[in-house]
Amino acid sequence: MRKTTPWIVTLAAAVLLAACAGQKEPATQAVQKAEAALAEVRADAAQYAPDNLASVESTLTSLKDALAKGDYKAVLAGAGGLTSSIAALKDATAAGKSAQEAAVAAANAEWSSMAADMPKMVEAIGSRIAVLSKSKRLPKGIDQASFDAAKSGYEMMQSTWSEASAAAASGNVVDAVAKAKMLKDKGAEVMTMLNMSAG
Amino acid sequence: MAVDEKPAADDNPYAQYYTVKKGDTLSKIAEEYYGDKMLYPQIFEANRDQLTDPNKIKVGQKLRIP
Repeated sequence: MRKTTPWIVTLAAAVLLAACAGQKEPATQAVQKAEAALAEVRADAAQYAPDNLASVESTLTSLKDALAKGDYKAVLAGAGGLTSSIAALKDATAAGKSAQEAAVAAANAEWSSMAADMPKMVEAIGSRIAVLSKSKRLPKGIDQASFDAAKSGYEMMQSTWSEASAAAASGNVVDAVAKAKMLKDKGAEVMTMLNMSAG
Repeated sequence: MAVDEKPAADDNPYAQYYTVKKGDTLSKIAEEYYGDKMLYPQIFEANRDQLTDPNKIKVGQKLRIP
């Protein structure tokens, strides 16, 4: 028994080593495959599904660490889950991209309308403020505080419109529309201050 | 202060209009809208397409109030 023990231990070690060696190749391939799959979607995912991407990157890093340590069993155990996560990431990225494209299309249409409309609102308010500024006294229903607030609001509208136009010119139509809506709300408020009817 | 709907041809939906009533003058309208009757030329100039004399306005005319 004593003579056979070293032989058995050696054999067991050899079997174990062979088993590990047998897992190295599939584990390495699994990580390489995951890296390749993730590389395909990484750029879009960073834009449209950043949280999902961070999670997948973390899992991949863990598996690469395990591979480096020779823990092939852990790599192979986690590879299936990672493949599923990457597939889910692709789906989330596609959905995010689609939603973004739809939002941009809607914003483009809305901007087109507002780009024609808002300067007219600014012009109408500016015209009234210009005339009232020449008046010796304000009309009934408009006190000095309201008029001063209207003038401030008008200045804000002008700067907001400049910002919206700049955003649209740089291709950020969603931001342009958001600013134009702010302008429209402020314009309605100023028109009320000036006893003007809404358009 | 009655503000009426704009003429269909106007392309500014935010422009302000007033329909002339019996007894109105541009001075009276200017005082109502601006608080200063001396600003009547502002209304006259804005409506030169339909007014030739600031003293001659007609009931029913839709005047733009700048």
